[in-house]
Amino acid sequence: MIELTHFQVLSGLLFAIGLYGVLARRNAILVLMSIELMLNAVNINLIGYSIFMNASESHRALGHVLIIFVITIAAAELALAIAIILRLYRNKSSINTDDINIMRW
Amino acid sequence: MNNLSFLLPEILVVILGFGVLTIDFFIPKNKKWSLPYIAILALTGIFIFNLIFLWGKSDELYGGILRIDGYSLFFKSAFLILGAALIASSVDYVNKNLSNPGEYYAILIFTVLAMMLLSSSGELLTAYIAVETLSFGLYVLVAFDRYNIKSNEAGTKYIILGALSSAILLFGISQIYGLLGTTQFNEMAEVLRSNNSINPGLLLGFLFLIAGLGFKVASVPFHMWAPDVYEGAPTPITAHLAVGSKAAIFVLIIRFFVTGMMPLMIDLQIILVIIAALTMTVGNLMALVQTNIKRLLAYSSIGHAGYLILGLAALVSINQEGGMTLAFISNTNLVVNGIILHTIAYGISNLAAFLSISIIYKKTGNENIKDLAGASKASPFLSMVFAASIFSLAGLPIFAGFISKFYLFTAASVQGLIWLVAIAIFASLMSLYYYLKVLKYMYIEKSEIDNKIDLSPIAFVVLSILFIAMIFIGIYPSPLMDAIQHATYALTMVN
Repeated sequence: MIELTHFQVLSGLLFAIGLYGVLARRNAILVLMSIELMLNAVNINLIGYSIFMNASESHRALGHVLIIFVITIAAAELALAIAIILRLYRNKSSINTDDINIMRW
Repeated sequence: MNNLSFLLPEILVVILGFGVLTIDFFIPKNKKWSLPYIAILALTGIFIFNLIFLWGKSDELYGGILRIDGYSLFFKSAFLILGAALIASSVDYVNKNLSNPGEYYAILIFTVLAMMLLSSSGELLTAYIAVETLSFGLYVLVAFDRYNIKSNEAGTKYIILGALSSAILLFGISQIYGLLGTTQFNEMAEVLRSNNSINPGLLLGFLFLIAGLGFKVASVPFHMWAPDVYEGAPTPITAHLAVGSKAAIFVLIIRFFVTGMMPLMIDLQIILVIIAALTMTVGNLMALVQTNIKRLLAYSSIGHAGYLILGLAALVSINQEGGMTLAFISNTNLVVNGIILHTIAYGISNLAAFLSISIIYKKTGNENIKDLAGASKASPFLSMVFAASIFSLAGLPIFAGFISKFYLFTAASVQGLIWLVAIAIFASLMSLYYYLKVLKYMYIEKSEIDNKIDLSPIAFVVLSILFIAMIFIGIYPSPLMDAIQHATYALTMVN
């Protein structure tokens, strides 16, 4: 039997793995993939709450609406991020986050 | 149909944005100088429309998703004027560096739209979408200088950390949705009032939300992106980051805290107090050692975010009475007034500072503080406006910054946060040191090179208006205070 706790544990784990990826990875594209993982953790959390919520139909549907917006906005955000990282690559021939260090302190 | 008329300013701004984009395709290259003027005129027109036809109205649209009230109308008008000012201050930069100005102005107009939506959103999903619209526009604008490696670097840092912060923000929203069953601010307040015990998961959600929004306003544990992005971005966009985006997020935070989170403030005040103290001290301390003027202003704007968070922490006053911890909200409207007034005074001063340095540094290329030497000879007017804005940011009398800091700190000490106010006053004393250091280079140090600074008429007009506004608010703040009190009243009357 799958319960809300399972959803929460999965979502929490996925979020933590994504956060670890953002902090540990040095390749900008891998960092973006980790952020995508965090956003999917949010989606799993939302769908879990939406299924097990003790509320009216419209309040439960709100969770689904949230998920659709999250997916859309995440896609737009990644497209934009990849475009900007591509600009960086053209000018610098590297997307290692350790190399973007002209400005510090 | 009635609903749509309330949204007319937003719809007109959308039309204007796409219109500018389309006109840019069709007019020949030698006529493109007219684009910003069209945009400025249109934004001013929408501002006047907003004042004449919507002022004093109040309604909630689509079941409370968007709220049209005194608060949102006040800030919508402010953001329209801010948008016009930002476009006017970009003209020099765009003419010099960009071949296709249409996209730049269109994206700037869309960020104005996002700021207007932020001021009226009464629900977390709408607020999130507006935050993202604003951030997307800013990501593009920060990285707009395509062949400049600094701009690329700033854009990459901004978008990676921005995406991370929005993931954290969304996780907070999902927790709040799951445990409260709603995302509307006033329904959240009702549910929170009816629950006596606080769920730790819910507290986690609110903490994530504060972290996500704290990133957007560059408050201290989440501020590391700010100096880099501010330095790398084109200077008019730095002004937008420091003024527009920060003010818009604070407008959202005020509405969210006052109408949605009030019952929780008793648990969250200590977190806000810590963030405020850290933001004020770290921001102003780091500014002491900067050699780049944009980084210096970035750290100073972090410090100013600290003063505003001090206001947020003071929304409730918490007293111990007979072993019970009680929260009082009697003076909340005073504090909200203070936050709004300081946001506006800080916005005007910072806009003037960034616009004048963007003109002074047009020739040198890199923005070292040392290069300011002799600027007072090269352009007395620019130096005067810059000095006034610096004094205003430092909070010296007769300028707007003095009145706003005085009001905000008084309101916070009425709410019982006297030691935090003491930290704030100490932090603004520290800020005076690095502000005066900049002025020392400007007025006392001599420079051998005679560099005449040419000032375009539009920049002159904008700078004069900002200069007059700074002094006017400093001397005679009551017309502005009346409008602010009207806005605050609309907000605090909801509960």
